[in-house]
Amino acid sequence: MTEPVRSNVESLEPRSAATVKTDEATKDAASGQVRARRKPQISDTPPAPPPAPTLADYEPIIGKSQVDELRFVAKRLQGKRVKMVNSTAVGGGVAEMLNRLVPLLDELGIKTGWEVITGGNDFFEVTKGFHNALHGADFTFTDAAREVFLRHNEQNRQRMTFDEDFVVIHDPQPAGLIASKSGSSHWVWRCHIDLSHPNPDVWSFLQPMVEKYDATVFSSPAFARRLSIPQALFYPCIDPLSDKNKDLDESYIQSVCDNFGVDRKRPIVTQISRFDRLKDPLGVIHAYKMAKKYVDFQLVLAGGGASDDPEGAAVLQEVNEAAGEDPDIIILDLPPWCALEINALQRASTIVVQKSLKEGFGLTVTEALWKGKPTIASAVGGIPTQVIDKHTGALVHSVEGCAYQIRYLLTHAEFGAQLGKNGREHVKENFLMTTNARRWVLLLGILSGATS
Amino acid sequence: MSSTSSVGLTQARTPFEFKSAAPLLFIEREQARNLEELLHALKTCPDASIFQHTFRTLEEHHFIKEGFSNDFAQWAYTDLREVGLGERLTGLDVREFTSIAKLRERLIQIVEEFRDATPSAKDSVSKTPFYFCSSKITVLPTQRSAKNLPEFIEGLKQVSIHSIHYHFIEARLRRELETNDFSIWFRRDLGMEKEAKRLNQIDIYTSTLEGVRRKILQTLQGAA
Repeated sequence: MTEPVRSNVESLEPRSAATVKTDEATKDAASGQVRARRKPQISDTPPAPPPAPTLADYEPIIGKSQVDELRFVAKRLQGKRVKMVNSTAVGGGVAEMLNRLVPLLDELGIKTGWEVITGGNDFFEVTKGFHNALHGADFTFTDAAREVFLRHNEQNRQRMTFDEDFVVIHDPQPAGLIASKSGSSHWVWRCHIDLSHPNPDVWSFLQPMVEKYDATVFSSPAFARRLSIPQALFYPCIDPLSDKNKDLDESYIQSVCDNFGVDRKRPIVTQISRFDRLKDPLGVIHAYKMAKKYVDFQLVLAGGGASDDPEGAAVLQEVNEAAGEDPDIIILDLPPWCALEINALQRASTIVVQKSLKEGFGLTVTEALWKGKPTIASAVGGIPTQVIDKHTGALVHSVEGCAYQIRYLLTHAEFGAQLGKNGREHVKENFLMTTNARRWVLLLGILSGATS
Repeated sequence: MSSTSSVGLTQARTPFEFKSAAPLLFIEREQARNLEELLHALKTCPDASIFQHTFRTLEEHHFIKEGFSNDFAQWAYTDLREVGLGERLTGLDVREFTSIAKLRERLIQIVEEFRDATPSAKDSVSKTPFYFCSSKITVLPTQRSAKNLPEFIEGLKQVSIHSIHYHFIEARLRRELETNDFSIWFRRDLGMEKEAKRLNQIDIYTSTLEGVRRKILQTLQGAA
């Protein structure tokens, strides 16, 4: 049974004429009559985060035997203490993940604390530069930048204590804290970013620090470097109980579609992404136009980034221009706290597309697979790890490929359903928060010699 | 060995203890973008890597019932685009191997033969490298054991697919025998030779692991 849904959609009642924007009228594709494109009502403030789920809440999803296995593996680490350190308490995938992981580990009897490093604007400017440089961007690595990084790491090192059994440092910002490693404690460097083509100067600076850790964790073999220490592989994960992924009442899904003007009686093809050129929304529109000659469907492009990013605003404009007056292309610029709405759109979709030109791991794909949706995605970044071509989804390499797969999957529902079913199983096996917790417990156990 | 007359109530001398296994993946140094690199890596990678990409990947992809055999075959098909090699590698049945050394030899033999028979394949380069990984396995007890057939059936219904993989597929390597834990117990402890043989014949490549569970149950429920 799904819990009551909190929503950012303030009003689901039929709106009065005063709220309908007649200047956004478009012609109805079927009848040729002018209809008003509804302006969805979205709250302008984020909702309060729900309480973190317990292990028992995950049992209906992953099964009792898996929960029992997790409890058993964790037994050998009972009473051990872990400190997680990252650079931000709110915003971003790492904080979101730690918000769920820390309580789960605690519940398993592994006392886990979470600290955030502090630093001035100079430190965060430098580390932002590092972040981009590690992704391959040009960066002039000055002595001043080196000094800022080391100084702030040292200040944090002096401020914090490190008497835990395990210390896990997330990403490059706090990597210098390794200087505090002592005694029998085990230190792990968890790298969430793609280090496949790092700026050589920045990596040469960081590598000696990283090599002092007892182990590293990367999200993909492609993101890793050649190191002398063990490199564990932890795929990124989703939380099946979060607002973004939990089960939803049909009535809520319907209400969201009504609010956004999406007709559930007709096929829906959706891409959920920031308005960013690397997500290739124009390519998706192009694929839509090619496929639309053969099959009827609506295209939903939903995402954010346009209101807080000048480039995003420019991309949104390009997308609107490419969509023109086509009433079957529904473009939704959503604020970042619309997790429930995104969830509903994904669940309402017949097919989900992720036609990125570049991608990290691609958790939007994971979300779609989890919802059992036939997924068409580019063979970039971490997507091929999730979309095993013709088994858990369809991998494409071009606009034409995307168009063809849309046509194919819209006309072969049974095959699409099988892909969706496999995709969900693949996520259940590899990309859920509980799997992440198990990986951490196993790694800490291996490092301490508690498991073999 | 056992007591009482009815097969269903025959008590085994030694209970069957259901176990499971939790793997943790590690990234190894070897990578391959073409046939020669694949060959070199197959010769130098750790045993745990060969195990990961053949035996263990069946568990990771337990829900796929057709067209997926091992990671090497999948890469040959979809990334290197050498369908002939993909087919040959798909034909590998890990159940025929009771040692990693033999499995490694066979993999190398397949790739060498394909390379020699298909000179044009040496120019094939994959955009996506094959990244060799390995897994460290932690064996876990479950809360389940069985002293007779009905208890075994009940236990099998409850355990995870990881337990089935551990006892039915991985056991071959562990025991260095062309059989599995279930068949050994049925033969040795319950005297059910026919059922033991039938279980060992279940095809793991045309079924998901849940499908394998169902087939085992069907085989045993007929004998209960």
